[in-house]
Amino acid sequence: MTGSGSKTLSPQRKRRRRSGWRGLVYIAPAMALVILFFVMPVIFTGWMSLHNWPLMGGTRWIGLKNYVRMLHDARFLSALQFTAYYTIVVTIAIFAVAFPLAIFVEKQRRFVSAYRTIIFLPVVVGLATASLLWVWLANVDSGFVGPALKALGLVDKSPNLLATFDSAFLTIIIMVVWKIAGFTMIILLTGLQAIPADLTEAARIDGAGRWQRFRYLTLPLMRKTIALALIISVTGSILAFDQFYIMTSGGPQNRMISVVYYIFNQSFVSFNLGYGAALSIALLAILVVLSIVQLWLLRVGEERP
Amino acid sequence: MTTAKVSPSKQRRARKAFRANGAYHAAGIAICLFFLAPFVITFLASFRHGTEARLPPLPPWPTNGLSIDSYLSLDTFGAGIWQHTINSLLVSLATVVLTVAVSLLAGYGFSRYRFPLKNVLFVLIIATLMIPFQSILTPLFIILAKLGLNNSLLGLTLVYVTLQLPFSVFMMRNAFDAVPKEIEEAARIDGARDLRLLVRVLLPLVLPGIATVAIFAFLNAWNEFLAALILLSSNEKYTLPVLMMAVRAGRLGAVNWGAVQAGVAVMTVPCLIVFLLLQRYYMRGLMAGAVK
Amino acid sequence: MIKRLLAATGIATLCLMSAASAADKVEMWVRTGIGEAFKKTVEAYNSSHENQVSMTEVPFSELVQKYATAIAGGQAPDALSMDLIYNPAFAAAGQLEDLTDWAKSLPYFSALSPSHVKLGTYQDRIYGLPLSVETSVFAWNKDLYKKAGLDPEKAPTTWDEITANAEKIRALGDDNYGFYFSGGGCGGCMIFTFTPLVWGAGADILSADSKTATLDTPEMRKAVDIYRNMVKKDLVPAGAASDNGANFLTFTSGKIGQQSLGAFAIGSLVTEHPDINFGVTLIPGATGGTSSFAGGDNFVITKGTPKMAAVKEFLEYIYSEDGQKMMAKYGSLPTRGDIAGKVLEGLDPRLQVGIEAISVAKTPYTLQFNDLINSANGPWASFTNAAIFGEDVDGAFSNAQSEMQSIIDSGQ
Repeated sequence: MTGSGSKTLSPQRKRRRRSGWRGLVYIAPAMALVILFFVMPVIFTGWMSLHNWPLMGGTRWIGLKNYVRMLHDARFLSALQFTAYYTIVVTIAIFAVAFPLAIFVEKQRRFVSAYRTIIFLPVVVGLATASLLWVWLANVDSGFVGPALKALGLVDKSPNLLATFDSAFLTIIIMVVWKIAGFTMIILLTGLQAIPADLTEAARIDGAGRWQRFRYLTLPLMRKTIALALIISVTGSILAFDQFYIMTSGGPQNRMISVVYYIFNQSFVSFNLGYGAALSIALLAILVVLSIVQLWLLRVGEERP
Repeated sequence: MTTAKVSPSKQRRARKAFRANGAYHAAGIAICLFFLAPFVITFLASFRHGTEARLPPLPPWPTNGLSIDSYLSLDTFGAGIWQHTINSLLVSLATVVLTVAVSLLAGYGFSRYRFPLKNVLFVLIIATLMIPFQSILTPLFIILAKLGLNNSLLGLTLVYVTLQLPFSVFMMRNAFDAVPKEIEEAARIDGARDLRLLVRVLLPLVLPGIATVAIFAFLNAWNEFLAALILLSSNEKYTLPVLMMAVRAGRLGAVNWGAVQAGVAVMTVPCLIVFLLLQRYYMRGLMAGAVK
Repeated sequence: MIKRLLAATGIATLCLMSAASAADKVEMWVRTGIGEAFKKTVEAYNSSHENQVSMTEVPFSELVQKYATAIAGGQAPDALSMDLIYNPAFAAAGQLEDLTDWAKSLPYFSALSPSHVKLGTYQDRIYGLPLSVETSVFAWNKDLYKKAGLDPEKAPTTWDEITANAEKIRALGDDNYGFYFSGGGCGGCMIFTFTPLVWGAGADILSADSKTATLDTPEMRKAVDIYRNMVKKDLVPAGAASDNGANFLTFTSGKIGQQSLGAFAIGSLVTEHPDINFGVTLIPGATGGTSSFAGGDNFVITKGTPKMAAVKEFLEYIYSEDGQKMMAKYGSLPTRGDIAGKVLEGLDPRLQVGIEAISVAKTPYTLQFNDLINSANGPWASFTNAAIFGEDVDGAFSNAQSEMQSIIDSGQ
């Protein structure tokens, strides 16, 4: 055995040295695309953020003025505030629905896989499509929700759900939960199923109640999965745009302008590309900080089994 | 009559279990109703007569016989629904093929080779997930224009492939990592090298991973809206979501809700079919990703 | 060999060049919803001319940003039908072809719609010429008037009268409503249909030099009151509060008693909804007088296009009597005043009201029209929604006033 090992050693080494280049060749197409369509645009965005850069006409170097302007921009601050509010509410709502669903479909029994599939269906539809679908359902005259409530005699007059902030916000939250809950459910399900059955069984025999088992066994063991689901939900919510753009065009009296929506408006409606770029960089910084915090959370999950 | 022999306590337990079972499935059906209803209502409503399109879907099914008015009116928007469906299909399928090819190679490279800056480059690819591509659309547009690829489905496809890469490369690297090294060594001893090894021996083993990557690429490309809106500028090149914005914006000051329902149906059905056919791979891929 | 190859390519180039000069293909963008008028005119032009025009419809809400992005990427179309209010901003940015000399050489130049030419002019040079004229007018449904016991032939002249009529129509019950407007943050709709109330009364939302926002005037307060009152009395469908302009022509449902709309809609009402029996008149001011918004599109040419001659030929066709008749037949008002009478001959007499409106109409001239007025997320759009549907009218006024002023100041 050792003899054959020493014989193959030198070609292996050779291969490894050669493989240094070969590995790069394999990843070259991916790197080319990422550099061309991601790294360069990002660097370009950073460069633009230091300029007064109207879409048409000449550009002018203004240093950090765009960033200074951002700090005093009330509309940006309220977009930040709204995005944070939306992220918190929608994440709680998604978990409040997805966790019970995951427990509901955890055990293998009849029809469970059908339930899983059906709950997951909205996930595969685009957010833009889902928004379009729900903007119709929520329409006051031609939609489903309002007229159905009226037909059931619950209201005198079909309510215009998209006309006031609270009802429009609720409609969007329900739409997003409908669309996303299945995804979060599946992720949580993998965590649930990874818990060894004999562990829960042992706890049950030891006389631990259902809630106690959930609180002291299931939750701690699922830390990592929950953290992952949280990351995905939070990042997705911070970047929310389609639903506000399509369903409420920014909401009653501009109260549903998310950060990405505001960047879109500054860049493609007002054509302040430089300022839009600075806002993008700020958003980028926020996401990087959040990701670091979340990765740290994930690691904490790993340390505690 | 076996029940006659069962003791009363056992009987009670059985009845209790039966009732719990019934309650369970009642809840299951109610949940499914909530998740299915929007689709069902839309599909049914899209087959109502054109004159009913403006009315609320109560009841949702066509009461005056089936009609494809809504689909015909959808066809009058833009360059016709077929053209836009073909555009969307072209972009989505090309995205699938390119994404699979590129991420297969990259996943293999990252899993099996050592090279300088390997970890940095891997993190670089994954890090693109954190950047909202919405914020780099203007530079993207300018770069595509410089390459002569703006207002072209190919240019849009390349952007979509790039957007898919972080997830796909991650998936494929994990898929290759899961393949035991012994299999590869055995094949090497048999004389298989590099691409041949990759295609003949490893490809079948990472097929589930490829299926996952392909499904995600298809769904994301099919559904993407904002980049298509900005990067395509002529009518006949629009993909379905951009067409739907024109439908939503209304024509002559009125929204044709029938066309909206038909459009939602056209956009939804392919996603649902792809998912239902390949569900096993989709879920497996998703769970594999979640566990890692 | 090389010589032969060169010769071959030379011939090929020659062929290409001659082909190009024989028939140019003009790329042109228009906004969706411009409707049949322009489409039919293009068709007529293409079938009778060697040069061809290829028209791309772009969703109206995205047209300006797409055009601006395309210019930045060097991929703009040769010509564009541009909402005239954007004309100053694009001209100021130096993106449009200077048409001054050619325009002034046109024999009918002085007869072209004055507000369009004014908006097409920047620092005494002309960058845009009228393509379609659209004025806002007040329409009422004669059948509903009759049903409600009102005189269907008598046009209302004050808002008190309009409100009273609306109440009678609403009393018909069901989903018959007295009045409609797109109040869900549609800046473009509201500047078009609502500011005439203020203008008619002699006030304006911007100072004459466009450097000061003058939103908070007694006239505007009065106009807001009129609309608020109608909303409060349930004379307006609930959908109005969230209509971002997509349902601008709800009047066509036949369930709306009265609505301010564009003269352009007269054409589409006549052709697409012949069952609706309606009258039109000028929009009354909040405290008397009448006014209108002169909107529509200007024809602009992207700077540096190689197809100048073909574009000019097409524009001359549009201004010809044939072209003007074609546009009018499908609902677009004539842009040439000198032959307006002749063009409208035999067409619906209600179009005449649209022409009359031109003489009382206004159009704000500002480089920041989009940010101030038209953007769905601009101060004007949210002001109209907040002031008419919201709880805090004073707050709506002060917020919008200060936000408009800060946008104007940041642009100086």
